[in-house]
Amino acid sequence: MNNKIITPLEASDKVKKSIAKRRAKDKRLKFYGRAAISLAVCFLLILFYSIFLKGYSGFFQYYVTLDINFDRERIDPKGDLSDNSLFDGEASAIVNESLFSIIQPQGRKAKKQAKKIVSSGKDVRITKMVKNDPSLFGTITKVKFALDDDIDSFLRGYIKRETPESERRISNKVIEYIDKLNEEGRISYEFSDYILTGSASGNPEMAGIKGAFIGSMLTLSVCLLIAFPLGVATAIYLEEIAKKNKITEFIEVNINNLAAVPSVVFGIMGLAIFISIFGMPRSIPLVGGMVLALMTLPTIIISSRAAIRAVPPSVRDAAYGIGASKLQVIFHHVIPLAMPGMLTGTIIGMAQALGETAPLLMIGMVAFIVDVPNSVVDPGTVLPVQIFMWADFAERMFIQKTSAAIIVLLGFLISMNALAVYLRKKLERRW
Amino acid sequence: MNNINNLKSLELTVGDPFSKTARLKARNVNVFYGNNRAIDNVTIDIGSKEVISFIGPSGCGKSTFLRCFNRMNDTIDSCVVQGEISIDDENIYDKKIDVVPLRARIGMVFQKPNPFPKSIYDNVAYGPRIHGLSESKQHLDYIVEESLKRAGLWNEVNDRLQSAGTGLSGGQQQRLCIARAIAVSPEVILMDEPCSALDPIATAKIEDLIHELGNDYSIVIVTHSMQQAARVSKRTAYFHLGKLIEVGRTKDIFTRPQHNKTEAYISGKIG
Repeated sequence: MNNKIITPLEASDKVKKSIAKRRAKDKRLKFYGRAAISLAVCFLLILFYSIFLKGYSGFFQYYVTLDINFDRERIDPKGDLSDNSLFDGEASAIVNESLFSIIQPQGRKAKKQAKKIVSSGKDVRITKMVKNDPSLFGTITKVKFALDDDIDSFLRGYIKRETPESERRISNKVIEYIDKLNEEGRISYEFSDYILTGSASGNPEMAGIKGAFIGSMLTLSVCLLIAFPLGVATAIYLEEIAKKNKITEFIEVNINNLAAVPSVVFGIMGLAIFISIFGMPRSIPLVGGMVLALMTLPTIIISSRAAIRAVPPSVRDAAYGIGASKLQVIFHHVIPLAMPGMLTGTIIGMAQALGETAPLLMIGMVAFIVDVPNSVVDPGTVLPVQIFMWADFAERMFIQKTSAAIIVLLGFLISMNALAVYLRKKLERRW
Repeated sequence: MNNINNLKSLELTVGDPFSKTARLKARNVNVFYGNNRAIDNVTIDIGSKEVISFIGPSGCGKSTFLRCFNRMNDTIDSCVVQGEISIDDENIYDKKIDVVPLRARIGMVFQKPNPFPKSIYDNVAYGPRIHGLSESKQHLDYIVEESLKRAGLWNEVNDRLQSAGTGLSGGQQQRLCIARAIAVSPEVILMDEPCSALDPIATAKIEDLIHELGNDYSIVIVTHSMQQAARVSKRTAYFHLGKLIEVGRTKDIFTRPQHNKTEAYISGKIG
């Protein structure tokens, strides 16, 4: 209708008119981007603030210092420091006597309540000390004992003095005793020696993450040893050796789909195949690692293929042109150049596996296991499952322990990612 | 010699594609990419210790044809080569032929300088190493030094053999690639537009080098530049749309082309 040729003058006029609108659009886009990033940073900061500031108290707990008379005859009746002899000894009684001498409980009931102030791990602590250092015998030494979890919660202010006695987990009498210990300066708030060296325990004051940490390491080692070679080999085969046809295309699509399968499905598969068909035991890191390897394989394959594809074809041409065989081209040129990318993908997959809970629940790694696993066939648990279990327990003190375990898990993850960045920077070669 | 009457492609090709001292012989070669015919019935000889250049407009198939001689086209799944190419009367597309020793006999230099991301020394030593050519470390050192000398690079790099090959200038990189190719003592060197990514000074150096190497090796060079073909080669083959249009002495091709397409290309009307 209005067809005419636009003169240069009109054109520049129109451009000027539209320019303001385009600038505004650019500005808005910039603003949206910045808003999104600041929001993300905000949430991240809040997350770290709440975890680290509130969680760090999980690494600390209350201790009471008592004077212990290391009487050899009572602690080690047979005198040979054997487990049997120490078990027969009266380490607990000695601790209680020392405690009673300070707080002076009257009557059988009061004594019974008073005994519970010090954690039930007291005898183990004494026997460990004399085993490490028999010269303690015959001395009177100050020893720190963990306080019971209810006392700990009271001292932290979670259990309040104002609450009526009937609704409180600790009695007025016990509070009286604690006040007495406090007056004498015997109660201290210190870095917990249980959280990093202890294992799962029903007593929260003695619970630690060592077992779960070792379990995680073992599980991840199995996972890495299976998933890395398999994943890299698959990627190399698909990229360098296999001909592009319907079958490889089908495999490709399936690998991409597997990467999106919910992890719990891999757990069920592990239960059905490794445990039911092959009859492997439950709760062991070996099965856990195998299940996690299945889960991380697609991630490793996809990132390794991307890394292999990023190797410039000119390098392959050069090697083939000089008469290198396929194997030589792959091992001398493609793998070294693709290694940083493959490692990054692998570590990201490992980090994912480290944080995985659901598939491990399916294969029974959720069991309550006090012993630290010594090998991949010992029953064990892993950090995220430990966190999951602790978060479920009723005792107030497990909340702090949970936070502490979360911090350790996050630290583990961050150091793995840092390792990935370091390896990538170190192995990267320019061409 | 060959029964010339049987060769259909002679109907198409003008000039003399045959050589008395033929080293490489291509007979009725067709190359397909899927359903696409990239090379159409090409027959040509490449003589011993001769420099021959392939010229032609972009997409005429000269690089594809070049890559048939060392079977580099094998790496492309969809590529099919028909016909016969032989080196010293041995068909290189025979099922019994292994490409690894073949590529050691027929070296290649690529369009873009592509040294390995390794040291200068390792770049040159790579070929002798994988083929087990050197008897000792000293021998390998000698091979590396000789190859770099013949490639005219020794004086520029002898004090930094362990530094990265990729840190050299473009022209030096290309000469490094030539050194790498001659380190395995090939009989033929294929060059696929070796100077197209280089400046005129680096180009001149490579051209001098090709001249010298022509005394010892058969060299096939694909080039975009007609001046380069005129400068370095004794024979020239002109390709057009996958067909070999004309072959002859370089002097003849550039001064009195017989085919009208060759003439059009030479005079700048097509290409």
